[in-house]
Amino acid sequence: MTPDEALQEVLDRSPEKSRGESGEEPARELEALAFSQQTAPPTKRGRFFLFRVTALWEGFLVAFGSLRTNKLRTALTLMGIVVGVSAVISVVTIIKGLDQTVAQTFSSQGSTVFTISKQPRVITSREDFIKFTKRKDVTREDAEVIFRTCTSCYQAGVSASRPEIVKHLDQKSDNVTIRGIAPTTMFDIDAVTIDAGRTWNENEGESAREICVVGADISENLFQGAAPDRIVGQQIQVAGRPFLIIGVLQPLGKIFGFSRDNLVYVPYSTYQKVFGGRGSVVVFVKTRSAAQLEETEDQVRTIMRTRRGKSFSDPDDGFALETQDVFLDLYGKATSNIYLVTIGVAAISLVVGGIVVMNIMLVSVTERTKEIGIRKAVGARQKDILTQFLIEAITVTALGGAIGVLTGFGLAYVLALAMGFPLLISAASAALGVGVSSVVGVVSGLWPAWRAAKLDPIEALRSE
Amino acid sequence: MSNVTVASPPVPATIPAPSPVGAGHNPSSLISMREIWKTYQMGSEQVHALHGVSFDIPKGEYIAIIGPSGSGKSTLMNLIGCLDTPSKGEYWLNAKNVSEMDDDELARIRNQEVGFVFQTFNLLARATALHNVELPLIYGGVGSSQRHEMAKAALTAVDLADRMTHRPNELSGGQRQRVAIARALVNHPSILLADEPTGALDSHTSMEIMDLFERLHGEGNTIIVVTHEPDIAARAHRVISIRDGLIEKDEKIR
Repeated sequence: MTPDEALQEVLDRSPEKSRGESGEEPARELEALAFSQQTAPPTKRGRFFLFRVTALWEGFLVAFGSLRTNKLRTALTLMGIVVGVSAVISVVTIIKGLDQTVAQTFSSQGSTVFTISKQPRVITSREDFIKFTKRKDVTREDAEVIFRTCTSCYQAGVSASRPEIVKHLDQKSDNVTIRGIAPTTMFDIDAVTIDAGRTWNENEGESAREICVVGADISENLFQGAAPDRIVGQQIQVAGRPFLIIGVLQPLGKIFGFSRDNLVYVPYSTYQKVFGGRGSVVVFVKTRSAAQLEETEDQVRTIMRTRRGKSFSDPDDGFALETQDVFLDLYGKATSNIYLVTIGVAAISLVVGGIVVMNIMLVSVTERTKEIGIRKAVGARQKDILTQFLIEAITVTALGGAIGVLTGFGLAYVLALAMGFPLLISAASAALGVGVSSVVGVVSGLWPAWRAAKLDPIEALRSE
Repeated sequence: MSNVTVASPPVPATIPAPSPVGAGHNPSSLISMREIWKTYQMGSEQVHALHGVSFDIPKGEYIAIIGPSGSGKSTLMNLIGCLDTPSKGEYWLNAKNVSEMDDDELARIRNQEVGFVFQTFNLLARATALHNVELPLIYGGVGSSQRHEMAKAALTAVDLADRMTHRPNELSGGQRQRVAIARALVNHPSILLADEPTGALDSHTSMEIMDLFERLHGEGNTIIVVTHEPDIAARAHRVISIRDGLIEKDEKIR
């Protein structure tokens, strides 16, 4: 401080000075100041009003020191926060992965395909189930009429499916989907491609021969993973009958942990011969482009209502016309419920975690009363103590949040591996996890920190 | 108010004669206490720990405040050290009226003007000697390189240059007290305020610490020692005796 600044300070302080000693001469004040300047290092007063980064940094050091010293306590304190954050992170990550898988899967068949069936794929009540069961079966004739009369249909076909046991020599595989299809354009509609061998031609298809095209899992499960071209020409037993493998499909992969390759395609005529002619089929209709989908749906609906003899006023079609959106809607509903439940669980564990942190911080303040007294005696202000304990609370919860984020991603990684969907790690959800837990730290640390800041230095120094 | 006793120190001519409440402080004194009362509320009863105490301490003095327990000397020490404010009266420290300051202003005064030395050392157990000494500078906002330098200088001044990275539990009692003295001195305070500084030390170490105080006094520091031990008080140049919240005796002994 220069002499000029010192003089200025005297002038600035004059209102305070005039209190209670009106007869004071300025010269004496200057004299007193002069000797205080001797004792004080020159820059002392000015730096006191700066933002005290030094005190903040001290807060961090103390926080880390205290967390290191009380490792077990810290670990237990973190637990609630870790559980809450990892629950959210893992669920969000898993659902993101599923979203992508679902989007890819359904776009493979595409938004140009819809189906006509006796019952919708999703039935939500017993009443509906009974109503749908009473409907007329959808038959191959329906499919032929639709394809003949519908002008905007591009491809159409029928399919019927059932699970069966499939055998080869002593190898056996349960729960293989047997899919009877006609005509062979159904392979295109299903968006499957031949890896080895061939599909059947229309003659073979209509003559009900025991031939089949198998999914990749069949070679895996019944032929010890033999190369696709090695199993073409082999025989498998379906429902006790021998079937000749004429083709193998390229694998489609898994969805939700379920393989989409564990199936055997047979001609529909063969399917009827083996499993009986009764039972409803599903008619698949593919349009040329997504833009034509709605128009085509309307055409097909009209054709089918006419065939079912439905009047305009009847609200029930007597059949179910569905696109893949049904799945997507159902999926969306399911995941939004999962989100809600997870957010609930996370909120509860964060609140509980916050209470635990608050409790531990109160304990910590009590334990360190003496230390607070010492700090206050050497010049820590209330806000210095307040920030020190707030930093400690935030450090605990942010650490918990970070561990939670890592655990969450770890959990999602394991599930992603097990269920075969991509792991989509998002930096935003990581930041959110740490951010939210830091907020929990502020909220739960505020009261203990305030109590610490308000401690009487004399009482605090006296405590042991 | 009739029973207010104000002892007049028979010392420098600059110290004014005992004056009634409201009279101005002596601006040439480092410490100027005027009619200081401290009253505590104990249930429905009012307990007066100090009954209107007045005295002046000029810069560079070595003073002992002595008195039996319950005499009010701890209360007086807390007031001098700006850990507390008087219920009534004025306290001027280094030309600043401390008696009407709020908590944060008091913290600032403690940081800049007062260096505490306690009976039980009051060091941070987990911090090194160096960090303990740096503590006042941390709250004074001194940057780290300057802080290290100042703390090292203070530790060197108390002959602990070779113990800087030791923690309190790795130091002897006398060394701990010297760390505390270094902490008290590091910010160049106006007063060094010691509360029973030898109370936890053996007689040999006590003498070492008292020798150190003598040296620091010789270097121009103002030292106030609060004690109940007459031989510790005898090392000071002036002794103020407190009894029942009043100054009983205020004499220059050297």
